[in-house]
Amino acid sequence: MKNVKKLAALSLSLVMLFSSLAGCGDGKGKESTASKAEESKVSSKVEESKSEVSTSKTEETSSGDDLAFKKFDEPVDVHIGMSVSPIDTTLPAGDSAQDNQYTRYLRDNYNINVIVDWTAAEGNDYNQKVSLAIASDTLPDGLVANEQSYLRKAAKSNMLMDITDLFDQYASEQVKGIVDSTDGRAIESVSFDGKMQGLPNVTVDTDGVHILNIRKDWLDEYSLEVPKTLDDVENIAKVFKEKKPAGDQTIPLSGPDKNERLYCTFLESSNNAHGLDPVFSAYDVYPGYWLQDDKGEVVYGSTDEKMKPALERLAKWYAEGYIDPEMGTRDSSGEAVNANQVGMFFGPWWSLGYGNGDSFKNDPTANWQTYPIFSDDGKWNVHMKSVGTSSTMISKNASEDVAAAIIIMYNALVRDEGVFDTSVAIGWYPLRTVAAAADEVEHESQELTRVLNGEADPEEFNDPMSIYKLLYQDATKVRNVVTGYTKDRELAVTDFSMENEGDFKRMYAILIGNRPYATTEVDKKVYSLTYSMTETMERKWANLKKLEDETMLKIITGQEDISAFDTFVSNWHAQGGDEILAEVAGLN
Amino acid sequence: MKSKFMNQVHYTLMILPGFVWLILFSIVPMVGIVMAFQDYNPGLGYWQSEWIGLENFKYLFSMSDAWQVMKNTIIIATSKMILNLIVPLTFAILLNEIKSVKYKKVVQTIVYLPHFLSWVILASIIINIFGYNGVVNTVAGVFGAEPRVWMQESSIFRQLVIGTDVWKEFGYNAVIYLAALTGINPNLYEAAAIDGAGRWKSIWHITIPGLIPTIVLLGVLGLGSVLNAGFDQVFNLYNKIVYSTGDILDTWVYRMGLIDLQFSLATTAGLLKSGVSFILIIISYVTAYKVANYRVF
Repeated sequence: MKNVKKLAALSLSLVMLFSSLAGCGDGKGKESTASKAEESKVSSKVEESKSEVSTSKTEETSSGDDLAFKKFDEPVDVHIGMSVSPIDTTLPAGDSAQDNQYTRYLRDNYNINVIVDWTAAEGNDYNQKVSLAIASDTLPDGLVANEQSYLRKAAKSNMLMDITDLFDQYASEQVKGIVDSTDGRAIESVSFDGKMQGLPNVTVDTDGVHILNIRKDWLDEYSLEVPKTLDDVENIAKVFKEKKPAGDQTIPLSGPDKNERLYCTFLESSNNAHGLDPVFSAYDVYPGYWLQDDKGEVVYGSTDEKMKPALERLAKWYAEGYIDPEMGTRDSSGEAVNANQVGMFFGPWWSLGYGNGDSFKNDPTANWQTYPIFSDDGKWNVHMKSVGTSSTMISKNASEDVAAAIIIMYNALVRDEGVFDTSVAIGWYPLRTVAAAADEVEHESQELTRVLNGEADPEEFNDPMSIYKLLYQDATKVRNVVTGYTKDRELAVTDFSMENEGDFKRMYAILIGNRPYATTEVDKKVYSLTYSMTETMERKWANLKKLEDETMLKIITGQEDISAFDTFVSNWHAQGGDEILAEVAGLN
Repeated sequence: MKSKFMNQVHYTLMILPGFVWLILFSIVPMVGIVMAFQDYNPGLGYWQSEWIGLENFKYLFSMSDAWQVMKNTIIIATSKMILNLIVPLTFAILLNEIKSVKYKKVVQTIVYLPHFLSWVILASIIINIFGYNGVVNTVAGVFGAEPRVWMQESSIFRQLVIGTDVWKEFGYNAVIYLAALTGINPNLYEAAAIDGAGRWKSIWHITIPGLIPTIVLLGVLGLGSVLNAGFDQVFNLYNKIVYSTGDILDTWVYRMGLIDLQFSLATTAGLLKSGVSFILIIISYVTAYKVANYRVF
């Protein structure tokens, strides 16, 4: 009897042991079930996977590009970490981060075998993972750094390969053309101590140009004019506030959510959807930018006296309920836009189409339009972005073949992005670092309009080595997407066919989202004196940034009055700002 | 001796998972403490990074931010500690006075539930409840109050953090008191009733004195977590606007280390926290032994 009891106790404790050990391994188990769930969610929505990416292009390469698109004799394994979108619905059933049309394309054409060591949800989760990989010196062969600070840290920690010569050898003519078009700024942005340590991200200039997105159908409903100045925006917001076209939840003007930025800064100088950049620009003030004042002194835009009227105006809008009352605490402003509760929001060209696809799904007549916001004296001021903020890091432990393979992947994306089946989000391309001609979107919108007008034939653009890599494909598609086109009339949502979601989003973004920048002259382009950190900033910037974010948000939400701005300025100077100003002045 | 070990082998096995966990997540990472005294360069590792002595500590104390964060941490953590003693105690005593066993069990189960929800989930529920279109504003609106965005107001953020934590945990914390209550000799109540003591009197003279050792023990043991203001909770609830009152040591360390890549500085702050906590734990252990005769060794 006693023995039985003992046995029972022993086996019980063993069960507990194993079950708790199973608990230990939970992290991994959860991850895989989560990703499986994701996959099945993905599969449920996707149409049948279309034909494989055409491979015929490979042979057309010019002789100078032999290495740039070479097929390895033996398969080359490239280990990467990957950021994935948790809400993506475009990946066909059975495909995964490691096995999808893009990785198969790389394997078939170049013998590059992509191995995904880990994935993380895009945004904060991914950045955190990159940061941990750097801290623990466990970078995979290739990894995309979303912000320059990661590249900088890894480079300074001597973890990255010097690819100066390799890049010269392997980069395609097309890539070199794009990189050269930045006057060396692209290479500079990834070089430390004179060594090139990453593949640069070269994005279109218009990523940094922020405009007003507005529900034109709501404007029409209340017979309102298209806005030009902040006064107009204010009047429209007032009407939206009173009439509540989307019911009680109507948000006249959306603001940044808890993870977004109030305005662009020199470190993150582009792609600020739901920020309030144009309001500041209309006051001719550029917070977050390093500028030279009239006397030639270096100043930090956020400490400019002209911030006061801009902040006071925003505080007024907030108090009146024109701006989203949950600004700064909301989980996702994008969700509110997609749920069609929002009347206006600021953002770059892709905010419409790419940025708010679900808004059209929920209401196919949501006629979003874009307009630039001018200062009271009629000037369109725009703060300009850096070349690009992300980059692909190549570990110094990678072999030369692997590094070459990563450069080939970069070349291939630039050349063949146009021929991929865009119904699968391009975000699934491994180590996606975009290289695009600075004026790509404007050029496209111009040429596509010509195609729509019947002034150009799509075949004119059939040049696989053109730096406008997507133009030919877009030109062949545009007539099928913009079915209701009429010359000299503003395009509306009803003119578009939403049949192919990917094409619809792209055309909407190019033809409507980028219309302001493509067709309106910018009166003043403002560049920051620097787009990267100085020595002192590495230590003190976090603190100063926190001070700045908190003060600005508190003033706008009315928790502190405008006098807090003066306190902020003096604290900012005292807590390291002066030191940094001197450093920035010394850069030039 | 050997036979004693064999007799207890299943107990030892039960400890094993916890022990493995402790070694993996608490002992092994201690090596990383050296980062606090280095200008840590991950490419060079612990052994080759430049040694800078107490430079990180000096810089930490020179930041106005550090003091604010420390203040927030202590205010939030101590308030939680005190309220997490008083509220569950009151609740346990009140519940103990209820005659209907069924009702008692139902109440106990309901208040016990939030304990099992993770802050990730709970935080978004709370943000919604206190949001602009949330329940709180709707109810307040009935009485004519203007809607507010509660989560944005730095003047009430701490109270919100403390209040929601107490709400989440009081049911769970009451369990220990309820157990202690069953340990009080019922004869005492009968005797008191014969002597003409009412409910209040018997709570005051029997229940509370009977619980004192438990209260002291829990209070004293809680001392060790005076700098633990609850990362999960604050991280999921806070936003940029409430940094001044809501930012605590752990969230600050997280941002410094993982967002701003200042590994050394983050380690320094973490080490400082551990150092202070260690001293407090020793004090609490000694006090627990002296006052409540509770000891581990």
